[in-house]
Amino acid sequence: MATETDRRWTNVAAVRSRASRWFSDIQEHPFFWILPAALFLGVFLLYPLVEAFRMSVTNMTLLDPTDYSYVWLDTYVRIFESPDFWGMTRVTLIFVTASVVLQLVGGMILAQAIDYGVNRGLHGSIFTRISVLSAWVIPGIVIGIVWKIMLIETRYGVINYIILQLGGDVVSFLSDGQMALLSTIVANTWRGTAFSMIMLYAGLQQVPDQLKDAARIDGASPWQRFRHVTLPLLKPVLFINIVLITIYTINTFDMILALTGGGPGRATEVLALYMYFEAFERFNLGTAGAIAVVMLVVNVFMTMIYIKYLLGEDEF
Amino acid sequence: MAALDIDGLVKRFSAGDGEIVAVDDVDISIEDGDFLVLVGPSGCGKSTTLRCIAGLEEISEGDIRLGDTSIVGRKPMDRNIAMVFQNYALYPHMTARENMSFGLKMGTDLSKAEIDSKVEDVARMMGIEDLLEKKPRALSGGQQQRVALGRAIVRDPDVFLMDEPLSNLDAKLRTTMRTELQNLQQELGVTTVYVTHDQTEAMTMGDQIAILNDGKLQQIGTPLECYHQPVNQFVAGFIGAPSMNFFDVTLDGDSLEHDAFSYRLSPETLENVDDETTRLTLGVRPEDIEIVDEREPNSFRAIVSVTEPMGSSTHLSLAIGDRQYTATVPGDVLIAPDDQITVTFSEENTHLFDAETGRAVKNREHVRPDTEVQV
Ligand SMILES: Nc1ncnc2c1ncn2[C@@H]1O[C@H](COP(=O)(O)OP(=O)(O)OP(=O)(O)O)[C@@H](O)[C@H]1O
Ligand SMILES: [Mg+2]
Repeated sequence: MATETDRRWTNVAAVRSRASRWFSDIQEHPFFWILPAALFLGVFLLYPLVEAFRMSVTNMTLLDPTDYSYVWLDTYVRIFESPDFWGMTRVTLIFVTASVVLQLVGGMILAQAIDYGVNRGLHGSIFTRISVLSAWVIPGIVIGIVWKIMLIETRYGVINYIILQLGGDVVSFLSDGQMALLSTIVANTWRGTAFSMIMLYAGLQQVPDQLKDAARIDGASPWQRFRHVTLPLLKPVLFINIVLITIYTINTFDMILALTGGGPGRATEVLALYMYFEAFERFNLGTAGAIAVVMLVVNVFMTMIYIKYLLGEDEF
Repeated sequence: MAALDIDGLVKRFSAGDGEIVAVDDVDISIEDGDFLVLVGPSGCGKSTTLRCIAGLEEISEGDIRLGDTSIVGRKPMDRNIAMVFQNYALYPHMTARENMSFGLKMGTDLSKAEIDSKVEDVARMMGIEDLLEKKPRALSGGQQQRVALGRAIVRDPDVFLMDEPLSNLDAKLRTTMRTELQNLQQELGVTTVYVTHDQTEAMTMGDQIAILNDGKLQQIGTPLECYHQPVNQFVAGFIGAPSMNFFDVTLDGDSLEHDAFSYRLSPETLENVDDETTRLTLGVRPEDIEIVDEREPNSFRAIVSVTEPMGSSTHLSLAIGDRQYTATVPGDVLIAPDDQITVTFSEENTHLFDAETGRAVKNREHVRPDTEVQV
């Protein structure tokens, strides 16, 4: 009898330990932990991506999305042959390049100013940070509207009012093609500078004070200290910053939609906006999908540079 | 090359609503070509003093003169001073050569060839000519230190300022570099201010040492002056390792009364002691404590709690009364923990400090006449 019970107990124990081993196997397997994130990414990112890709090789329209046929690369050929696409690309290129450069320069100046202020214990550096940051957290749509109001082209627009008071003429900020592109760039810079400021400020904290002191003793002027000591040490941060804001700016769309709607004409229609109009105004889902894929390729390319740089470590 | 005079230097930092006096009325003069060591505990204002001399900090009060001219208000560059930092402060993105020539490129209008030849001369002197094309990351600590020194030397300054330049090196290399640095300084004859918190470095390197505490200059003198004739209890405790033993005593008639012993003073010593001061601190260096027979006058008992054999000598931790004290005895004296021994010290080696102010009342003779060596 006793042996019988014993055996039963051993069996139970064996089952239990097997179960717990199985459980711990699962626990130790990375797959188990990646699963939730993988599911999330799969459903909300990968699937739409695949869908966009599939759309881009069809002639699908929004009027009747069920009635379509596969045209394969025809859509792409059509895009690359259309002068529209290259016009939009040019606008995007100008918009992105100017925004990135201005944001970098502005961010660097602000970061330096804050660094200087904090080191000197000056008041106001927190105020500056908060006000610049708030421009960054406001949704793009709101930024677009705020700037649109400021740029109203009568004496009721804040900026034109100031120009008039200073003795100038009303400037057509939004109805002149080149002016509109400039306004878009300025608004976007105003919005995005905070991000560069934060990154570069953090980068500046990594530059040892001793090096700046050494350079002062070596007789370097403030500009030379920046040029020969701070800037080279900031290079990794600067690089990552450039890649990130480039990606971010290529994809900017909400702010421009609210500010100019791509106009006048198509003077401020960047690729992101072009894609949106193709899909929701001209109902060409196929074309929109193809533009999306082209933009995706550019983004992936930028991301690859970014990752390569992160993994490759810097060269010091 | 020039003498350096610091006159009533005060440096205040504003901190929140109050202010910190980092350097408080410090006077130091260094003769041309001398090596002065600025020593003191952490936070006593050594680096701040150095930075004021370098022109990296604006001074609040006082004057700093190089030769006969005041350098206050001049830019660091125009003071013709070179500085070596604790972490070397080499520019990480530049090669050793670029690091060393940076100051010449920025501050002078020498041609590239002239700069190169200067850098190479110094590199040869420092034994780093093979490392010139390497970046700091590829150099060992000692090599980086040499590059940092080379960078200072190549500018041919009037004064070297060094802020704990050896503290990042391991013990052995530190000893080597210490000697090397001294030789280098003597060879170049450049006035040098050297900051350290390590009293051994101070004792071994300096022509003069200046001891700083809490922003105030305590004493300035040769290492042996500071060692044998400290002006106060702080200096006595700071200079010398292991540090001086302090016994709280009261003066009663002609003897010093401690909880565990009494010590008779000679009439000559008593003369120096103010009648009103009865609470004193008796200072005895560990090496001046001797093990004696119990019949010896002025002797008392101590229990050995720990022994630390160093080879040539042994450090003993002694329980006297309810406190621990240190004695250093020759290495061949065999003593084990828990041994009871009888100790004393000779009066001429003792120091007496006013217990309240810490001021020295009696020091030992600097150099005893009978031990002076004829050369
Ligand atoms: N920029 C500053 N702002 C405010 N207080 C400072 C500043 N620099 C130094 N202090 C203060 O001045 C005092 C002296 O500092 P200092 O760096 O000179 O000390 P130190 O003797 O070099 O110490 P350590 O051996 O730790 O390097 C400290 O109390 C420090 O907190
Ligand atoms: Mg210091």
